[in-house]
Amino acid sequence: MTNEGIAVIKVRDVLMVVIPPEPDDETVSNLQNQILRAIEKNEASGLVLDISTVEVLDSYFARMVSETTKMVALMGARTVIAGMRPSVAIATIELGLTLGNTLTALSVDRAFDILHNASNGMKPR
Amino acid sequence: MIEKQDHEIPIRLESDIITVRKQVRTVATDLGFGLTDVTRIVTSASELARNIMSYAGAGVMRWFAIESEHRTGIELTFADNGPGIIDIEAASEPGYSSNGGLGMGLPGTKRLMDEMEIQSEVGEGTTVIIKKWLKK
Repeated sequence: MTNEGIAVIKVRDVLMVVIPPEPDDETVSNLQNQILRAIEKNEASGLVLDISTVEVLDSYFARMVSETTKMVALMGARTVIAGMRPSVAIATIELGLTLGNTLTALSVDRAFDILHNASNGMKPR
Repeated sequence: MIEKQDHEIPIRLESDIITVRKQVRTVATDLGFGLTDVTRIVTSASELARNIMSYAGAGVMRWFAIESEHRTGIELTFADNGPGIIDIEAASEPGYSSNGGLGMGLPGTKRLMDEMEIQSEVGEGTTVIIKKWLKK
Protein backbone atom coordinates (compact mmCIF):
# COMPACT_ATOMS: atom_id res chain seq x y z
CA MET A 1 0.00 0.00 0.00
CA THR A 2 1.63 3.22 -1.11
CA ASN A 3 0.40 6.76 -0.96
CA GLU A 4 1.24 8.04 -4.38
CA GLY A 5 3.17 11.30 -4.51
CA ILE A 6 2.34 13.72 -1.74
CA ALA A 7 2.09 17.21 -3.19
CA VAL A 8 4.45 19.89 -1.94
CA ILE A 9 2.59 23.14 -2.60
CA LYS A 10 4.33 26.51 -2.81
CA VAL A 11 2.46 29.47 -1.35
CA ARG A 12 4.57 32.61 -1.78
CA ASP A 13 7.84 31.68 -0.07
CA VAL A 14 6.35 28.97 2.10
CA LEU A 15 5.99 25.30 1.21
CA MET A 16 2.97 23.40 2.41
CA VAL A 17 2.62 19.64 2.68
CA VAL A 18 -0.57 17.82 3.62
CA ILE A 19 0.35 14.51 5.25
CA PRO A 20 -2.12 11.71 4.37
CA PRO A 21 -3.97 9.87 7.19
CA GLU A 22 -1.98 6.62 6.94
CA PRO A 23 1.37 7.30 5.31
CA ASP A 24 3.57 4.21 5.00
CA ASP A 25 7.25 4.31 5.91
CA GLU A 26 8.41 4.57 2.31
CA THR A 27 6.17 7.57 1.67
CA VAL A 28 7.36 9.22 4.87
CA SER A 29 11.01 8.60 4.00
CA ASN A 30 10.62 9.86 0.41
CA LEU A 31 8.77 12.90 1.66
CA GLN A 32 11.77 14.03 3.69
CA ASN A 33 13.91 14.15 0.54
CA GLN A 34 11.16 15.71 -1.50
CA ILE A 35 10.69 18.50 1.05
CA LEU A 36 14.40 19.32 1.34
CA ARG A 37 14.83 19.47 -2.44
CA ALA A 38 11.73 21.65 -2.81
CA ILE A 39 13.07 24.07 -0.18
CA GLU A 40 16.36 24.39 -2.07
CA LYS A 41 14.68 24.80 -5.45
CA ASN A 42 12.12 27.37 -4.28
CA GLU A 43 14.36 29.15 -1.79
CA ALA A 44 11.52 28.75 0.69
CA SER A 45 11.75 30.44 4.07
CA GLY A 46 9.17 28.27 5.75
CA LEU A 47 7.49 24.87 5.73
CA VAL A 48 4.01 24.04 6.98
CA LEU A 49 3.33 20.36 7.70
CA ASP A 50 -0.44 19.90 7.86
CA ILE A 51 -1.08 16.79 9.97
CA SER A 52 -4.78 17.48 10.56
CA THR A 53 -5.86 14.22 8.87
CA VAL A 54 -3.20 12.08 10.58
CA GLU A 55 -4.86 9.57 12.93
CA VAL A 56 -1.78 7.92 14.42
CA LEU A 57 1.65 9.32 15.14
CA ASP A 58 4.01 6.52 16.11
CA SER A 59 7.69 6.82 17.04
CA TYR A 60 8.92 6.33 13.45
CA PHE A 61 6.70 9.09 12.12
CA ALA A 62 7.53 11.40 15.03
CA ARG A 63 11.26 10.88 14.45
CA MET A 64 10.84 11.69 10.76
CA VAL A 65 8.97 14.90 11.58
CA SER A 66 11.51 15.92 14.20
CA GLU A 67 14.48 15.11 11.92
CA THR A 68 12.97 16.87 8.93
CA THR A 69 12.41 19.97 11.07
CA LYS A 70 16.09 19.97 12.08
CA MET A 71 17.26 19.45 8.48
CA VAL A 72 15.01 22.26 7.29
CA ALA A 73 16.45 24.48 10.07
CA LEU A 74 20.01 23.65 8.95
CA MET A 75 19.09 24.82 5.47
CA GLY A 76 17.79 28.07 6.94
CA ALA A 77 14.01 27.68 6.92
CA ARG A 78 11.42 27.24 9.66
CA THR A 79 8.91 24.44 10.07
CA VAL A 80 5.49 24.68 11.68
CA ILE A 81 3.46 21.54 12.40
CA ALA A 82 -0.21 22.36 11.98
CA GLY A 83 -3.47 20.80 13.10
CA MET A 84 -2.59 17.90 15.38
CA ARG A 85 -5.80 16.19 16.50
CA PRO A 86 -6.56 16.07 20.26
CA SER A 87 -6.54 12.25 20.34
CA VAL A 88 -3.16 12.19 18.57
CA ALA A 89 -1.73 14.77 21.00
CA ILE A 90 -2.85 12.63 23.96
CA ALA A 91 -1.41 9.39 22.56
CA THR A 92 1.84 11.09 21.49
CA ILE A 93 2.55 12.47 24.97
CA GLU A 94 1.51 9.28 26.77
CA LEU A 95 3.77 7.29 24.46
CA GLY A 96 6.60 9.60 25.55
CA LEU A 97 7.37 11.25 22.24
CA THR A 98 8.42 14.85 21.79
CA LEU A 99 8.82 16.83 18.63
CA GLY A 100 11.71 18.77 20.16
CA ASN A 101 11.48 22.51 19.74
CA THR A 102 9.25 22.28 16.69
CA LEU A 103 6.82 25.16 16.28
CA THR A 104 3.21 24.06 16.28
CA ALA A 105 -0.06 25.70 15.29
CA LEU A 106 -3.73 24.85 15.73
CA SER A 107 -4.40 25.25 12.04
CA VAL A 108 -2.70 25.96 8.73
CA ASP A 109 -3.96 29.57 8.94
CA ARG A 110 -2.20 30.09 12.26
CA ALA A 111 0.91 28.35 10.94
CA PHE A 112 1.14 30.93 8.17
CA ASP A 113 0.69 33.71 10.77
CA ILE A 114 3.62 32.33 12.75
CA LEU A 115 5.87 32.16 9.70
CA HIS A 116 4.78 35.60 8.53
CA ASN A 117 5.46 37.15 11.94
CA ALA A 118 8.81 35.40 12.14
CA SER A 119 9.91 36.72 8.77
CA ASN A 120 8.90 40.23 9.89
CA GLY A 121 11.30 39.91 12.80
CA MET A 122 8.60 39.26 15.40
CA LYS A 123 9.01 36.42 17.83
CA PRO A 124 6.80 33.43 17.09
CA ARG A 125 4.03 32.85 19.62
CA MET B 1 -12.45 -14.86 30.86
CA ILE B 2 -14.29 -15.75 27.67
CA GLU B 3 -12.60 -15.27 24.35
CA LYS B 4 -15.12 -14.40 21.72
CA GLN B 5 -12.92 -13.94 18.69
CA ASP B 6 -9.50 -15.00 17.55
CA HIS B 7 -7.86 -13.63 14.45
CA GLU B 8 -4.34 -13.27 13.18
CA ILE B 9 -2.35 -10.98 10.89
CA PRO B 10 1.20 -11.80 9.78
CA ILE B 11 3.83 -9.09 10.28
CA ARG B 12 6.55 -9.58 7.68
CA LEU B 13 6.67 -6.42 5.62
CA GLU B 14 6.69 -2.79 6.56
CA SER B 15 3.30 -2.45 4.83
CA ASP B 16 1.87 -5.01 7.30
CA ILE B 17 2.22 -2.34 10.00
CA ILE B 18 -0.48 -0.34 8.20
CA THR B 19 -2.65 -3.45 7.88
CA VAL B 20 -2.25 -4.00 11.63
CA ARG B 21 -3.21 -0.40 12.40
CA LYS B 22 -6.30 -0.51 10.18
CA GLN B 23 -7.46 -3.84 11.61
CA VAL B 24 -6.93 -2.75 15.21
CA ARG B 25 -8.77 0.51 14.54
CA THR B 26 -11.76 -1.39 13.13
CA VAL B 27 -11.86 -3.95 15.95
CA ALA B 28 -11.49 -1.36 18.74
CA THR B 29 -14.10 0.94 17.19
CA ASP B 30 -16.55 -1.96 16.75
CA LEU B 31 -16.06 -2.91 20.42
CA GLY B 32 -17.22 0.58 21.38
CA PHE B 33 -13.98 2.36 22.30
CA GLY B 34 -14.02 6.14 21.91
CA LEU B 35 -11.66 7.98 19.59
CA THR B 36 -9.00 8.74 22.22
CA ASP B 37 -8.79 5.13 23.39
CA VAL B 38 -8.85 3.87 19.78
CA THR B 39 -5.89 6.16 19.05
CA ARG B 40 -4.06 4.86 22.16
CA ILE B 41 -4.67 1.25 21.12
CA VAL B 42 -3.71 1.79 17.46
CA THR B 43 -0.55 3.71 18.48
CA SER B 44 0.45 0.83 20.79
CA ALA B 45 -0.18 -1.72 18.05
CA SER B 46 1.92 0.30 15.63
CA GLU B 47 4.85 0.42 18.09
CA LEU B 48 4.72 -3.32 18.85
CA ALA B 49 4.39 -4.26 15.17
CA ARG B 50 7.43 -2.06 14.51
CA ASN B 51 9.35 -3.78 17.30
CA ILE B 52 8.71 -7.11 15.58
CA MET B 53 9.98 -5.72 12.27
CA SER B 54 13.11 -4.19 13.88
CA TYR B 55 14.12 -6.97 16.26
CA ALA B 56 12.67 -10.22 14.96
CA GLY B 57 12.10 -9.53 11.26
CA ALA B 58 8.74 -11.33 11.29
CA GLY B 59 5.92 -12.35 13.59
CA VAL B 60 2.16 -12.21 14.02
CA MET B 61 -0.48 -10.12 15.74
CA ARG B 62 -3.56 -11.82 17.16
CA TRP B 63 -6.58 -9.99 18.42
CA PHE B 64 -9.29 -11.02 20.83
CA ALA B 65 -12.44 -9.46 22.21
CA ILE B 66 -12.27 -10.25 25.93
CA GLU B 67 -14.78 -10.25 28.74
CA SER B 68 -14.30 -10.35 32.49
CA GLU B 69 -16.75 -9.61 35.29
CA HIS B 70 -19.14 -7.60 33.14
CA ARG B 71 -16.27 -5.78 31.52
CA THR B 72 -15.47 -5.85 27.81
CA GLY B 73 -12.07 -5.21 26.35
CA ILE B 74 -9.57 -5.82 23.62
CA GLU B 75 -6.50 -8.01 23.85
CA LEU B 76 -3.69 -7.86 21.32
CA THR B 77 -0.85 -10.36 21.19
CA PHE B 78 2.37 -9.71 19.28
CA ALA B 79 4.45 -12.85 18.91
CA ASP B 80 7.75 -13.54 17.17
CA ASN B 81 10.48 -16.15 17.06
CA GLY B 82 13.23 -13.55 17.20
CA PRO B 83 16.27 -13.18 19.46
CA GLY B 84 14.21 -12.47 22.60
CA ILE B 85 14.75 -9.81 25.23
CA ILE B 86 17.68 -10.34 27.59
CA ASP B 87 16.45 -8.05 30.36
CA ILE B 88 12.68 -7.57 30.27
CA GLU B 89 12.73 -5.25 33.26
CA ALA B 90 15.26 -2.92 31.62
CA ALA B 91 13.34 -3.07 28.32
CA SER B 92 10.24 -1.85 30.12
CA GLU B 93 12.00 1.23 31.51
CA PRO B 94 11.78 4.57 29.72
CA GLY B 95 14.82 5.37 27.62
CA TYR B 96 15.74 1.76 26.93
CA SER B 97 16.60 0.95 23.36
CA SER B 98 18.86 -1.65 21.84
CA ASN B 99 18.46 -0.59 18.22
CA GLY B 100 19.13 3.14 18.41
CA GLY B 101 15.44 3.96 18.35
CA LEU B 102 13.76 6.36 20.69
CA GLY B 103 13.35 3.73 23.40
CA MET B 104 9.68 4.58 23.74
CA GLY B 105 8.22 1.33 22.44
CA LEU B 106 7.58 -0.83 25.51
CA PRO B 107 7.33 1.70 28.37
CA GLY B 108 5.26 4.02 26.17
CA THR B 109 2.93 1.22 25.17
CA LYS B 110 2.52 0.28 28.82
CA ARG B 111 1.33 3.82 29.58
CA LEU B 112 -1.13 3.82 26.67
CA MET B 113 -2.74 0.49 27.63
CA ASP B 114 -4.35 -0.84 30.82
CA GLU B 115 -2.27 -4.01 31.00
CA MET B 116 0.94 -5.27 29.40
CA GLU B 117 2.67 -8.59 29.78
CA ILE B 118 5.96 -9.65 28.19
CA GLN B 119 7.04 -13.24 27.80
CA SER B 120 10.47 -13.76 26.31
CA GLU B 121 13.11 -16.45 26.00
CA VAL B 122 16.53 -15.55 24.62
CA GLY B 123 16.91 -17.33 21.28
CA GLU B 124 13.27 -18.45 21.31
CA GLY B 125 11.22 -15.33 20.79
CA THR B 126 9.03 -12.74 22.42
CA THR B 127 5.31 -12.40 23.05
CA VAL B 128 3.84 -9.10 24.18
CA ILE B 129 0.22 -9.08 25.35
CA ILE B 130 -1.62 -5.79 25.80
CA LYS B 131 -5.15 -5.14 27.03
CA LYS B 132 -7.50 -2.21 27.21
CA TRP B 133 -10.85 -2.30 29.00
CA LEU B 134 -13.91 -0.32 28.01
CA LYS B 135 -14.70 2.31 30.63
CA LYS B 136 -18.33 2.22 31.61
